[in-house]
Amino acid sequence: MIELVNITKSYDGKTNVIENLNLHIDKGEIVVLIGESGCGKTTTLRMMNRLNDPTSGTIMIKGEDYTKISKIELRRQLGYVIQKVGLMPHLTVGKNIEMIPELKGWDKKKRKDRAYELLELVDLPPEDYYDRYPHELSGGQQQRIGVARALAVNPDIILMDEPFSALDPITREQLQKELLKLQDELGKTIVFVTHDMDEALKIGDRIAVMKDGKILQYDTPEEILKNPANEFVEYFVGKDRLWKSPEMLNANDIMHKSLVTVGQKRSPAQVIEVMKKKDMELLFIVEKETSKPQPPIGYITRKNLKEQEDHKVKMSEICNKDFISVHQNANMVDVLKIMEENEIRYLPVLDDDKNLIGMITTASILNIITKAVAVKEEENK
Amino acid sequence: MNDLNFFQFVASRSDELIGLTVQHVQITGLAVLLAILLGVPVGILISKNKKVRSPILGIANVFQTIPSLALFGLIIPLLGTGYVPSVFVLFLYALLPIIKNTFIGINSVDEAIIDAGRGMGMTSKQILTKVEIPLALPVIMGGIRISTVINIGTATIAALIGAGGLGEMIFKGISMASNNMVLAGAVPTALLAISVDKLLGMFETKLTPEGITSQKDNQV
Repeated sequence: MIELVNITKSYDGKTNVIENLNLHIDKGEIVVLIGESGCGKTTTLRMMNRLNDPTSGTIMIKGEDYTKISKIELRRQLGYVIQKVGLMPHLTVGKNIEMIPELKGWDKKKRKDRAYELLELVDLPPEDYYDRYPHELSGGQQQRIGVARALAVNPDIILMDEPFSALDPITREQLQKELLKLQDELGKTIVFVTHDMDEALKIGDRIAVMKDGKILQYDTPEEILKNPANEFVEYFVGKDRLWKSPEMLNANDIMHKSLVTVGQKRSPAQVIEVMKKKDMELLFIVEKETSKPQPPIGYITRKNLKEQEDHKVKMSEICNKDFISVHQNANMVDVLKIMEENEIRYLPVLDDDKNLIGMITTASILNIITKAVAVKEEENK
Repeated sequence: MNDLNFFQFVASRSDELIGLTVQHVQITGLAVLLAILLGVPVGILISKNKKVRSPILGIANVFQTIPSLALFGLIIPLLGTGYVPSVFVLFLYALLPIIKNTFIGINSVDEAIIDAGRGMGMTSKQILTKVEIPLALPVIMGGIRISTVINIGTATIAALIGAGGLGEMIFKGISMASNNMVLAGAVPTALLAISVDKLLGMFETKLTPEGITSQKDNQV
């Protein structure tokens, strides 16, 4: 949808604010540009609607070189929302939203219908708000109008430059949620600039971490958190960030990967032996004891085995086949909930093909917490 | 003549006074009108073009600082006496407040509003006519008001070079040592200035967009 190729930007002809930047944004994605002030994130955004022009490089929008259409035409195809909102104070809310439709020559009824529809969309009852003036509204309400205005002529792409940064935390969170909801309904392509990592993680499908006019890492929030490309990204994300956002941790990250399983043909005595050796209370039964992941058949506990009198019986016959499992992408919050609700201490983790790939135990969760504490202590020093 | 009190004097000369007042209004009105026609565009120009800003403001400042009496004198060799040079001098006087206020008004429009407008796809002309001028209008109007009020006073001096107006009555009064006559010129001038100021003030309020008016009310 948006493609930046070898973009370089210099304001004074000497120092490059943006250097050889490449960025590809897919349709329907929310891409967050993040970095400290002066990293070039806003400049990058403003080049997309030609409020700044790149010194060299090309920008393609919807597959076409964007210099082929006029700046004005281009900007009307891209919604634009800024931190300071920038509503026209001398115009009513309705007239603000209708500004571009009016310039485009829409008739009065069509304009008004659209404004009503958009006010509805941003949760401001049109009957109450259409005729009000911007200064009568709170910051959060003003920015809702800002978003509605950006959507007025139904652009496919919306550029947002720190739209929620000036709002109080509660309003900000509310608007972030609404933006995601809006995105679900409308499926726009959104480029979002922020300096707030929490915000980036919350709303971004992909995040581009920028420094000194370059993109250091362009990845999903999970990847940025778990595999920061370098020290700066790690520092910028905050080392303890992952532990602060349990919804970003999934079963895959918490589970024990060195898995002990036993084949279905083993006898009780053999299984007890394994349990003793590995110091385990419970084992999962699979078809064959190979290193290849396979579906679990059931589980057996030490207590089950001790009560077993028939020493020749196979595991497949006596194991408990009724067990709870989670998918590897289930997040930590869900995992903890499942374990608590079902009062279990062992939770098998399955991949897409229902193969057993790991085990979450109280010990593995404890491990995660210990790591988080260690990171915290390190930071406090 | 000194036996008459002021009001009797005014009553006896009412026809002449009305004529002079009309003349006074004509001179200042035309001068201000011309100053608006030139000053507002120049004010807009210097708000957009930094290069010409200081020379233009400099020149306008110079005209403002030359004593009006001297300026009326200096104009005689160039344009002679009478109506035209008087209007021209008054026009020069009216220019600075109008240029300055237009410049300030346009320049003080919140950058974020302009940025939003540009980013949405408004042309520079649309931003000027739909955003900047409406928002700057109260300030521009303020400049026009100042110019007009100053000009009503200064126009009395224009009588020296034969422009007519209420100044004629004042100068005649001075030469004849008639206080009544001086007052008969000065009092209508003052009343004219006050009422025109009020009138333009009302006009200013009317021109101020509603969204901004109520904003000001809230701030009080």
